[in-house]
Order: sequence, then structure tokens, then C-alpha cells
Amino acid sequence: MVPFGTDETISRIVSAYSDMLLRLACVRLGSAADAEDAVQEAFLRLLTARPIFRDPEHEKAWLIRTTLQRASDIRRKAEQRNIPLEDVTEPAAPESPGEELRSAVRALPEIYGAVIHLHYYEGYSIKEIAKLLGLPAATVGTRLARGRERLRQILREDVI
Amino acid sequence: MNDYRKAFGELSFSADFQERTVDLLRNRARELEKERTDMTICKTKKIALLAAACIALLAVSVSAAYAWLTPAQVAEEHNQPLLAEAFQGPDAIEINETVESGDFSITLLGLVSGRNLDVLNQDLEKDHTYSVLALRRLDGEPLENETFDFSGYVMTPLVAGCSPAAVNNWTLGAFAQGFAKDGAYYYLLDTQSIEMFADRTVYMAFYEGFVPNNDTFTVAEDGTIAFADDFSGVHALFTLPLDPAKADRAAADAFVESTGMNGWSNERSDPEGDWDIEHHETEDGEEIFLRSALKSGEETGG
Repeated sequence: MVPFGTDETISRIVSAYSDMLLRLACVRLGSAADAEDAVQEAFLRLLTARPIFRDPEHEKAWLIRTTLQRASDIRRKAEQRNIPLEDVTEPAAPESPGEELRSAVRALPEIYGAVIHLHYYEGYSIKEIAKLLGLPAATVGTRLARGRERLRQILREDVI
Repeated sequence: MNDYRKAFGELSFSADFQERTVDLLRNRARELEKERTDMTICKTKKIALLAAACIALLAVSVSAAYAWLTPAQVAEEHNQPLLAEAFQGPDAIEINETVESGDFSITLLGLVSGRNLDVLNQDLEKDHTYSVLALRRLDGEPLENETFDFSGYVMTPLVAGCSPAAVNNWTLGAFAQGFAKDGAYYYLLDTQSIEMFADRTVYMAFYEGFVPNNDTFTVAEDGTIAFADDFSGVHALFTLPLDPAKADRAAADAFVESTGMNGWSNERSDPEGDWDIEHHETEDGEEIFLRSALKSGEETGG
């Protein structure tokens, strides 16, 4: 594949992946601004690390994993400063059903959130998620089942 | 499922996010290109000066063993001056061990661990380990950027006593970079520091394939890791001479625990059989129920 770094490939990659990565970052981050930082950092990492991808799926997998890592880093830093992420940039507002669900997903252990999102929002199969996250398919299946159960417990009702 | 899609679909982001990001990346790409050009000019000058000094040694070099770039030079090729300096410092571990496998000679050149050594991607909070490995073809055919499939191979740390599914490239947040030079191919692997495992046997594995699994590795009862007898791809397993004094057993155990992946079985099974899937039609569409076929509390690591 063409190495990342030319104007053309930068435009292609930002256009193709931004929306998907921003929503994925929100599995771990409560504010849109933090999600935007995480995704920009992932793209910058692509520029400086110069990995060579064997195909578009490999490229996507790399971006997904890097975005999740960056989102975790941002979240960890905020937690270390004892700043609740939601309070950093989001104004206090009545919690909508959508925000209630998003908060519940963010409250899940990290190993479950990404799997849940890739399956229920992006529509990927267990095998596809296994490939994207570099996990055994059986592990993805287990995490999906357990994550869903934990989400139920958090919401105390069926939402999915 | 519809609620989930709605909840994440209604999120809104800056209208100019893509435009800002494209500008940011293009500017950074230009800066990097300029840095590379400046470095190449600088290197060319150094090489011209060194060439004269080396003429006297030429006869010896011709008959000497294959001359790899040093880890410091590999770091320089990646525009990483701090890392290059660290590879020449007291904490660097020189290895220079070679394994021949398939059509390749695989040499682990060395590694160094430290904090904030990566000028392009600074991490002020965590130590990282940087390892350099070199590859060349035994038939002398040069490896080139355009033709060598860098991503077809994995370079990953593994730790005896820990599942290869729990401690590996993916769980350690690795970034591998590579380039070809003078017919050889160089890997620079950046992972979270592996020094916390230093009181156990720590390996660096290089192999043809993808995620570590039991088609590739076996784990003995004493925790020793080896390539599976029937693994036929290119492979090499090096033992790393880390300083046990730098081990942090509590941090290592916490890391393994955090992966949730410390299960392992050498027995191969059909992964399709590890969970039960039920499909139910509802008003909102199809619902998929997944029930792990594993016993409660058990999670397979591969």
C-alpha cells in the first residue's frame, strides 16, 4: 500500500476513518473534544510510525487499536488528575437516554467496551472483531457476552 | 441494538474536524520530510569524512561477518536522536545473536529501555522498551522496501510463565517500524517496558504469522515457551539478558491480570465451538445472544 504522508493519502484516510474512530473513542471518553484529540493523535502516530500495511483491513485494524490506546491514555491521565472526564468539557444537563447508555458503556471495563461497540454499532462479526483487535475469536465471543451482561446490570434493563 | 446505534449515532463532533486534521497532518508530514532531508545531508557529510578514515580497514571488512547497522544507527534512520543516544548508553543491551530459519538469517541486535526516548511520540508516564532486529536472505538476494512484506512477520516479547496471549505485542501496545537498507531489513519495535518481567525468562520471538496462538507456540508445565513442533513458518526465539534487579513482580502480575488473557491451552480446538450463539427475532430486528460455552470464570487465552 502507498505509505501514509502524501496529501492524497492523508485526505483519504481522514475522510474514510474519522467518523468511525471518533465514535469508537467515545466508548472510553466522555467528551467529543477528548475523542477528537485521541483520533488526531492516532493519525499523527500513523504519520510518524510509518507502518506498512498489507491491505486496507490491516490499516483499519491498526487505526482502531491505536485510537483505543490513545483514548485510554487520555482517560488515565484525567483520572490521575482526579478530573471526572464528563466534567472536563461537558456542561451539566439532564441525562438523555442516549447519554445514559453511553455512560454505561464507558463504565464497562475497557476490555468489553470496544468489542460491544464494534459489534453493535459498526456491525462487525465476532471473527471480524477478532481480526481487528488481534484477539482470538473465542475471546471476543466471551467478551461480547460478558460485556453485554455487565451493561445490562449497569442499566438494570435491556437496552440492546 | 437500535438504542445503541441511536446513542452513538447522535454524538456530534466539530464540523471542521476533518479539515483541521488534514491540515495538521499535512503540516506535520512536511516537517518530518524536512527533518529527514536535513538528516540525510548531515549523514552524507559524516560518511564522506569517515570514508577516508576507513580505507585502511577495508581489506579486513571484506572478509568480516555481515555488517549490520547498529541499533543506534537504526534509531537515527527513524529520526530518533534520543533513542540513538540511549542505544549507545549504559542501559543498552547488546545481543547480536543470529538464528537461521527458512530463507532468512535473523539477528537480534539489541534493546534499550527508558522513558521519553521517542521524540516523535512522547510518553512521559511510562517506560518503553525498544528492540532492534535485522533480517537478510540467506541466498543473498537483497530485501527491499517495495517488495518485502514487513507486516507478514511478527516481532514480539514473550514471558515464561505468562500466557503468550497475555504478554505480547498487542497487549504491550507495540509499534513496529521497518525499513530496508543495503539489502537487509531492520525492525524497530517499541513496546511498553518489559523490564518488569526481568526476574523470569523473557523472550523476543520473530515469526511469520499474526497473533500468538497455540498453532505457533506451546507452553510447557514449567512455563517455558517454545515454537510448536509443527510450526513451519520462519521463526526465531531469543532469550533476553535483562537485569533481574529491574523486575517488578507486582506490576507484572497487575499487567497480566489487566489483560484478562492469561489462559492458555496447548490443545487446539475449533474456536467456533467455544461459545453458544442464539438468534432471536424481535420487533427491532434480530438479536444475537452469546453464551460462553466455557465454565464460569474461565476465559480462554487462545
